[in-house]
Amino acid sequence: MKIFLTILVALAFSRAVAADAKDIKLLNVSYDPTRELYQDYNAAFAKYWNGKTGDNVVVAQSHGGSGKQAQSVISGLEADVVTLALAYDIDAISQQAQLLPANWQKRLPDNSTPYTSTIVFLVRKGNPKHIKDWDDVVKPGIVVVTPNPKTSGGARWNYLAAWAYALDKYGHDDAKARDFVTRLYKNVPVLDSGARGATTTFVERGIGDVLLAWENEAYLAIKQFGADKFDIVTPSLSILAEPPVAVVDKVAKKHGTTEVAQAYVEYLYSDEGQDIAGRNFYRPRNEKAAAKYASQFSPVKLVTVDSVFGGWQKAQKTHFADGGIFDQIFQP
Amino acid sequence: MKLNQLILASLAGWQFVLPVSAADDAATNALGTAPAEIPAYTAANGATANPAETAELEALKKEIQELGQKVQALEQQRALDQQAATNVAIEQTQDIDQKVRVLARQRELDNEAAAAAAKNQPLVKLDSNGFTLASADTNFAISLHGLIQLDSRTFFDDHNLVNNGFLLRRARPIISGTVFHDFDFNFTPDFGGSTVQIVDAYVNYRYRPELQLEAGKFKSPVGLEQLQSDANLFFNERSLATDLVPNRDLGVELHGDLFGGVASYAAGIFDGVSDYNGTTVNVDSDNNKAFTGRVFLQPLKTSDLNALKGFGFGVGGSYEADRNGATGLTPGYTTDGQQKFFTYAAGVIANGRHWRVSPQGYYYYGPFGVLGEYVIADQEVSRTTAPLGSADLRNTAWEVSAGWVLTGEDATYNGVTPRHPFDPRKGQWGAWQVVGRYEELKVDDKTFAAALPFAVSTASASAAHAWSVGLNWYLNKNIRLNTSFAHTAFSGYTGAIPAVPAQAENVLFTRIQLAF
Repeated sequence: MKIFLTILVALAFSRAVAADAKDIKLLNVSYDPTRELYQDYNAAFAKYWNGKTGDNVVVAQSHGGSGKQAQSVISGLEADVVTLALAYDIDAISQQAQLLPANWQKRLPDNSTPYTSTIVFLVRKGNPKHIKDWDDVVKPGIVVVTPNPKTSGGARWNYLAAWAYALDKYGHDDAKARDFVTRLYKNVPVLDSGARGATTTFVERGIGDVLLAWENEAYLAIKQFGADKFDIVTPSLSILAEPPVAVVDKVAKKHGTTEVAQAYVEYLYSDEGQDIAGRNFYRPRNEKAAAKYASQFSPVKLVTVDSVFGGWQKAQKTHFADGGIFDQIFQP
Repeated sequence: MKLNQLILASLAGWQFVLPVSAADDAATNALGTAPAEIPAYTAANGATANPAETAELEALKKEIQELGQKVQALEQQRALDQQAATNVAIEQTQDIDQKVRVLARQRELDNEAAAAAAKNQPLVKLDSNGFTLASADTNFAISLHGLIQLDSRTFFDDHNLVNNGFLLRRARPIISGTVFHDFDFNFTPDFGGSTVQIVDAYVNYRYRPELQLEAGKFKSPVGLEQLQSDANLFFNERSLATDLVPNRDLGVELHGDLFGGVASYAAGIFDGVSDYNGTTVNVDSDNNKAFTGRVFLQPLKTSDLNALKGFGFGVGGSYEADRNGATGLTPGYTTDGQQKFFTYAAGVIANGRHWRVSPQGYYYYGPFGVLGEYVIADQEVSRTTAPLGSADLRNTAWEVSAGWVLTGEDATYNGVTPRHPFDPRKGQWGAWQVVGRYEELKVDDKTFAAALPFAVSTASASAAHAWSVGLNWYLNKNIRLNTSFAHTAFSGYTGAIPAVPAQAENVLFTRIQLAF
């Protein structure tokens, strides 16, 4: 009788829990090349959250150039979380729309960047144009594919990586670095709005001799299109790209999704989240995952935005704002 | 030349031939290898060439060898040049291929950008419904509509009481729109008649179709014919029944459509206006408020019974606990020809409760439409001059209007849309409709009580009844021509002739209407 009653209570309780199970929707507004990462991650997080709370989470994704995505959120796209290419774009959401506090980056470890990446070169198989480093990219006659820094976060990383290399080469001479980057953009025939578009241009449309790409994007291209079609060339110097993540407080509060959204970004730091990042060719922060995936990345000397350019605010103002250096050197 | 010299020359010549042939052979057989040695000619008798000839032959051999090498080099160079030219052509082709790919990709990106931009482009629409400008997401919109009615009235047997002529009955630019998706607004001034007035000025919040909140100046929800759009009336002027209902009023109203429009309701608090008044009123004339409401049902609107879908009925009403003042009373009741046939006597004021109730209904099926309503308007009044006193006066009115679209289009509460807009070049003549109406208005008998009169029979009639017939021509959705004849007879008037209520009113109406 006792056992029967216990079973009955358990069944009733489980039915109560099931009856209370909620369907929750989140919108993750992300930058261009993270489709595959978040496809894997969202499935894992949904399973985790369902196991923990019994609730069903469905995460909708929006992808595009990081700058464009930030503007969309500022203009009213109701993102519960943003996972963009650079901190400046999330700062813009905070400053222009006041949707999250100014100190958002301090709320998660490693300045809210659960994974990092860098910039490498994707070239045609056999590297017919013998591109080994940034010097080769700026040679006359080399066709370079890179997206538009006015809209794409990846493009801004590309630009700054080239500039950082030139500074290193020419003893921190800004004039020579500017000339170097000017020569690079003279070799760019078309500007996509985002990194994924640039990959499409290079890989599917067959344009260009070299694609300046996120490291993860380059490896993904080889995985998807075949190692017999492309090679990856790691330059001697590149930039540490730190794409951050954040909960958009006001939107999450309006949707009643604050708790889930917070768990969503935090789970990126979990062992499973870090493993998914590594599997998708991002460089995990977690030591265990970083060690596991270390062999898939080539060693490269990395510099940071802070150390070379004084931070994103300064870099954005100097190079990418309207009338900045990019506008001066690139004439379509 | 002597014979032996000739023979020697021939033999010497033969010495040339053999080495040249051998050199040719060498050049043909192995490019770059030295031609084979040609033995010195030895004649059959054992004689050989002399040293001078040998030297000459050697020189010739050497020259031939050099020529062979040159030919070889030239052919090698030609091959290299051809290869180089091919490489250049390949490079140029690849270059052109890249340029074509770049152009195609740029075009692709431009198209994507244009498609993305198009999603944010405002919508601009100009058609028979007017001009509309809206944001891409339609959350913001502004529309310009208009109503212009140019009438003529010709009175017969009126003893020149009334001028015949044309008048600009209505000239209304109608500005309406939406902000932030759920908030509609309307501002309508009227430049017709002799004064400029604000007819409508309101904001409506659409939480859901079933639940909306309207505030401002707009039609009070009582009379069925009054609520019908000015552009869609059967006749030029509304009936005597509409004399008893409020026109526009200022207030707040909750309203909505339920069950897909099967039922609609409205309930509001307004300043309160006297009978058929309100268009020119923009402030409250007293300290009291009127509660106004209406329920209207179209029970078979969503059924499969087509013949009964257009059947609707309801009731509207208003209640004001304490309406008072001279301005609280109606300025008077008018005929179809807009001539006043009843006014309250001087010194009579509204003084107390004022209520109305109006059962109403319509039926539309195919080209046939009929509309009717009955109105009771009850007002407590008082005299401020001797003899002092008060009374509760109850005036009533009713009307039935009907129309038949001769060309077969559907008649609706919202007008007639011609199936074939007027275009004589195509043999299209628009839509034609015949209409008829009967109407009555009766003032409470107590109004004219000899002991305590609130109106005088020498100035006002106590009742009016009228019939009208007409023909409407809908050229298209925007242009309409009307003509009708109305006959109104009066009762209870005992005053001097000529006067409006002293004889029947016979008036011929025409109208040219532009509505968009």
